[in-house]
Amino acid sequence: MKIIAEMNEAELSAYVQSHMKKAGIEVVLSGGSAVTIYSESKYVSKDLDLVNVYAANRKKIKAAMTELGFQEEGRYFTHEEATLFIEFPAGPLAIGEEPVREIVEREVATGTLRIISPTDCVKDRLAAYYHWGDRQCLVQAKYVSHAQDVDLEEVEKWSEREGMLAKFEEIKDNLI
Amino acid sequence: MLSSLLGSENSERILLFILKRDAGYAREIARFFDATLYAIQQQLEKMENGGILVSKKVGRTRVYEYNPRYPFLTELKALLEKAYSFYSEEVRENLEMNRRRPRRKDKPL
Repeated sequence: MKIIAEMNEAELSAYVQSHMKKAGIEVVLSGGSAVTIYSESKYVSKDLDLVNVYAANRKKIKAAMTELGFQEEGRYFTHEEATLFIEFPAGPLAIGEEPVREIVEREVATGTLRIISPTDCVKDRLAAYYHWGDRQCLVQAKYVSHAQDVDLEEVEKWSEREGMLAKFEEIKDNLI
Repeated sequence: MLSSLLGSENSERILLFILKRDAGYAREIARFFDATLYAIQQQLEKMENGGILVSKKVGRTRVYEYNPRYPFLTELKALLEKAYSFYSEEVRENLEMNRRRPRRKDKPL
């Protein structure tokens, strides 16, 4: 097994996820680190967002993280060997108003990585762009869309369901 | 109205305040409802951790608003709107009739 200091985003995530699973806690990687993985590090996040899918108790999460040598610092968990912070955002796992149905599983050196799909990753970034006008998130959506097989038709349909079709039309050329 | 469902009276106050004003900060919410600042701050933090609210710093003040990405937002707002309709006219008027237009610096009135 690799030491924590040598783990990349996917490996650290899978390492924590495997331990969490043993403790009966379901967490899925979303947010900026999913962008890092799917964009082949064109964008680098400083934290891992492991969404607490079924609202596991915080004390249970803390106990499991303590067993791995992590310390709780406010809403984050840190480890002396890890440069990444780990956060467990509250579930449910959703993109806009819709639950996430597809979880991608990838085997890495430290276990099984469970991560939202590239298409949902693009939607997740676009949600931040649509609601807050965050152009950094639009750029991240573009990185993922260019590097991965993303279902843009589904992104368009989702944008429409979210009432954001006009905004999608404005930016869709960025994603092609 | 919903405090037994939401777990506390202050949770309901915060959610209604932000529903009607679009945004709010701890001190003004506490002042409006004559609640303790600490209790309001605690609830705001709890709701931000739960993904219901998001916050940003405006100057030295942390301003909270609804998280547009919260998956139950439409349903939550519908429930709060119904609860709000049962509030007294006085509370409703005070919540809605706040000054929103700009005020020039040093304006006497």
